[in-house]
Amino acid sequence: MEGVSYQRFPKIKIREVKDDYMKFELRETDASIANALRRVMISEVPTIAIDLVEIEVNSSVLNDEFIAHRLGLVPLISERAMAMRFSRDCDACDGDGQCEYCSVEFHLRAKCINDTTLDVTSKDLYSSDHTVVPVDFSDASSTIDNTESRGIIIVKLRRGQELILRAIARKGIGKDHAKWSPAATVTFMYEPEIYINEELMETLTMEEKQEFVDSSPTKVFDINPRNGQVYVHNAENYAYDDEVLKKAEAMGKPGLVEIHAKEDSFIFTVETTGGIKASQLLINAIEILKQKLDAVRLSADTVEADEQFGELGAHMRGG
Amino acid sequence: MNAPDRYERFVVPEGVSKVSYERDTKIINAATFTVEREDHTIGNILRMQLHRDENVLFAGYKLPHPLQYKILIRIQTTSQSSPMQAYNQAINDLDKELDHLKNAFEVELARHNASQQREF
Ligand SMILES: [Zn+2]
Repeated sequence: MEGVSYQRFPKIKIREVKDDYMKFELRETDASIANALRRVMISEVPTIAIDLVEIEVNSSVLNDEFIAHRLGLVPLISERAMAMRFSRDCDACDGDGQCEYCSVEFHLRAKCINDTTLDVTSKDLYSSDHTVVPVDFSDASSTIDNTESRGIIIVKLRRGQELILRAIARKGIGKDHAKWSPAATVTFMYEPEIYINEELMETLTMEEKQEFVDSSPTKVFDINPRNGQVYVHNAENYAYDDEVLKKAEAMGKPGLVEIHAKEDSFIFTVETTGGIKASQLLINAIEILKQKLDAVRLSADTVEADEQFGELGAHMRGG
Repeated sequence: MNAPDRYERFVVPEGVSKVSYERDTKIINAATFTVEREDHTIGNILRMQLHRDENVLFAGYKLPHPLQYKILIRIQTTSQSSPMQAYNQAINDLDKELDHLKNAFEVELARHNASQQREF
């Protein structure tokens, strides 16, 4: 009964990794896998975000729900998220989200006592768990250049204004609310394959060659100054805009270049909010996708129901 | 006010089974799988994996409505296989592919980090 395997063995090559940025090549698989990974990275890899705010004192210019919303959007270090429980299926606290398995408590206390405006930032949030803290963008290896980082501004206070609150952060996914998405951007493109018909290209004058090269809105082609030949400067700059193909057609030289999208080769760009590392985001996405596949396996009772159906069918056919 | 809870999109309600299976009454070796609280992510990878199976004559999926949080996967196979066998095989193959991918990425990440260190 065991069928033959149609499994693929994809290859992966990293081009660049930073804490919150990664570029890699994925080969020998199809667009459905590439797109599933992209979708899972954006909306199904869990992170931790503030989900409940109890305001004790708020005499700032922003109303309570405005502040609660801003707090929710603050990215928190979420290395713990994969191992945490969702509040809705936590049996330690019956889902009210107040226990250590499914929540992290934060406190914020700020008052402006002089004439200079006080910035209340994510650095004023005190966490009950030192592993779950607001993302610090002053990190040296981060792509964001912020030398005098003071955190993310939540509200500004003038003399006499005060803000005291307690917040509960919970595990969640981007599908529930975008504040839980670990991804700033996740994109992939098909790797382009460009052939130049050298013979036809040599029938062009220098001016025509330059015109052809300039017809691309992005720098895909260039001219070698030594031998005057058109060469592919960077195939990946091609945006599948067809401009060079239209130009070739207009010059009466169809087939001057041929451009194909390789169907099994993808270039990914991943940027995170800083909550989890870009490399970890891909690992978590693969893990989540595996869990999702496992959840859609047929259960014993669906198989049993079909067997009964089969017997009934056989019985009916047999008369 | 009367908006459904956001978690309705991905939490299977009590008493509803995640996957249900219905044989086609007119065509032999054809069936429809209804998968609750899933979308294009699972639907499309399963469909494409099923297309790799030479005993699969037809495989398709649809998301009937954006506010109905389920997908329908329809499979027809030759007499050499069955929709259920093809479905299980597709899941197993995808699972192994992802295992391979995870492993390949971890090896590549270690290699990349080691080569970065050498440069400094
Ligand atoms: Zn709990």
